[in-house]
Amino acid sequence: MTAVQTSADARAVEPAPAPRRRPSALAALRWEVRKLRAQRRAKAVLLVALVAPAVIVVVIHGQSRPPKDTLFGRFATENGFALSLLVLGFASQWVLPLLTSIVAGDLFASEDQHGTWKTVLTRSTSRSRLFWAKTATAVGFAALVLLVLAASTIVSSLLAVGHQPLTGLTGQTVPAADALRLVAVAWATMLPPTLAFTGVAILLSVWSRNPAVGIAAPVVLGMVMQLVGALGGVEALRPLLVTTSFESWHGLFTQPVFTGPLLDGLLVSAAWCGFTLATAFVLLRRRDITGG
Amino acid sequence: MNPALAVDARGVTKTFGSVRAVDDISVQVAAGEVYGVLGPNGAGKTTFLRMLFGLIRPDSGTIRVFGRTWDEAGVEVLDGVAGFIESPRFYPYLTGRANLAGLTLLDGGTPPGLLEEVLDVVEMSDRADQLVGGYSYGMRQRLGVAASLLREPRLLVLDEPANGLDPAGIRDMRALVKRLAGRGLTVLLSSHDMEEVEEICDNVTIMTRGTVAFHGSIAELRTRAPDPGHALATTDDDRALALGAEHPRISVTRDPEGALAVTGPPAAVSSYVGALVRADVGLLAFTPAHTPLEALFFMLTDDPTHQSLHRPDRVRVAAR
Repeated sequence: MTAVQTSADARAVEPAPAPRRRPSALAALRWEVRKLRAQRRAKAVLLVALVAPAVIVVVIHGQSRPPKDTLFGRFATENGFALSLLVLGFASQWVLPLLTSIVAGDLFASEDQHGTWKTVLTRSTSRSRLFWAKTATAVGFAALVLLVLAASTIVSSLLAVGHQPLTGLTGQTVPAADALRLVAVAWATMLPPTLAFTGVAILLSVWSRNPAVGIAAPVVLGMVMQLVGALGGVEALRPLLVTTSFESWHGLFTQPVFTGPLLDGLLVSAAWCGFTLATAFVLLRRRDITGG
Repeated sequence: MNPALAVDARGVTKTFGSVRAVDDISVQVAAGEVYGVLGPNGAGKTTFLRMLFGLIRPDSGTIRVFGRTWDEAGVEVLDGVAGFIESPRFYPYLTGRANLAGLTLLDGGTPPGLLEEVLDVVEMSDRADQLVGGYSYGMRQRLGVAASLLREPRLLVLDEPANGLDPAGIRDMRALVKRLAGRGLTVLLSSHDMEEVEEICDNVTIMTRGTVAFHGSIAELRTRAPDPGHALATTDDDRALALGAEHPRISVTRDPEGALAVTGPPAAVSSYVGALVRADVGLLAFTPAHTPLEALFFMLTDDPTHQSLHRPDRVRVAAR
């Protein structure tokens, strides 16, 4: 031992300072939201979610031949509900994983990039509280992006094409009022798998400490899952893929309606969220902050 | 007098892979003192301070801050503690003021007016509404001090606060630290600059390769300091070396680049210079190399780039 001989051994310990005012549970969340609102990237994502669907709707509606080989593509140029479901199918391929990862994959790694872990972790807020504040911010942003994307798609589709009764996947006619409700529910079913990708992005952001990995890797993972899901002989694996959950809304547009995939998708997405967030939490809690 | 302890670290060790960054060190800092942790780069100073802040977990040993450990109190151990590690970092897309305001959220809020007050203390009030991304290094250092003062600390931990600053910035930073110390704050200052520590601190721990090489007061350190050294250039270095051998109280050496170095008590060095003049050896340069405390620092930390000048036992052998 490097002994330091000092009279301090005999000294009393200075009493601990009076407790500071403790930050509330929401203080860290307010701080994260404040930072997010100041970032152009987040604003750009929301702007894209708002504008891009309208552009896509106009482009598809303007085509002389509908994309018949895609789900609801046959009716996309003559039915607003079908068009919004066509966009939904496209968005679930990689757009939603990308949009959520742009923020979730950056939230933790950007602290490494800016060297600011040491700034925030030397205040009166614990790592745990910061972790959950960041996670809540990512989840909230993912939900907001999905809401904006869905609203923009549905509104622009109905305005551009109209709200005629929808022909379902089994050939049945779905009245316009029911179709609107079902389309809204279909978009809402995107939330669990989108949050699962949010969890993946958070885990990769914490693990890699690199925003590029946190943003790009979930998209690549989503594409790999789609590829695996398309392969033969992996029937047992397919329900466990997050990308399968993105397709669970199909049963809403059949006669009779089957909702089993919705529950399966919810459970699979919850499992992915639980695993990724728990792993990320442990990694962050145990990590030595040596950079910055 | 029985001053209480603000920091009480005992037997602290931290290893990264095969590198033992901090090796079983013990450091005690009394409340109210200005304490220096001195050492060359890689000595383990920053690792020690990161452990104090809970950024790094020690492999063994305990660090008590105002009597509490991280295991016992969690983040509450930082009550009354503030500072920064290496260069302070902020969010470049926020203004200085927004950065500080955000950090107050993580502190549970601050008294009204304190934010403006600390900006004024570090003379940043007029730049606080600019984005931090456009700040100079010195401005970020000062913002780091402001962020620390927002916590109204009783223990201020500053890691190389003058690092990267220009001479005027160094002067201002030292003056600021002195002002803060004058308020009764306990200051734990890490530095690799002996002059800075000598100017500001009461007591010092000198670290090298993760271990403590010296612990005590600046006054005690001064008593151990070797004779001052000078760099010497003459018209006849061989003759100068030979004359040095005739003056037993000094040592004259030639380094690998051929430059001469003279070490010894001032009176003896003066006598030697007189001998050079009398021997008709022209003096081209005769300049102080390091202060005695700097020389001691290099000896304690075994800096090979400086040891020849300040290790009299080795110097004498080399001179012959």
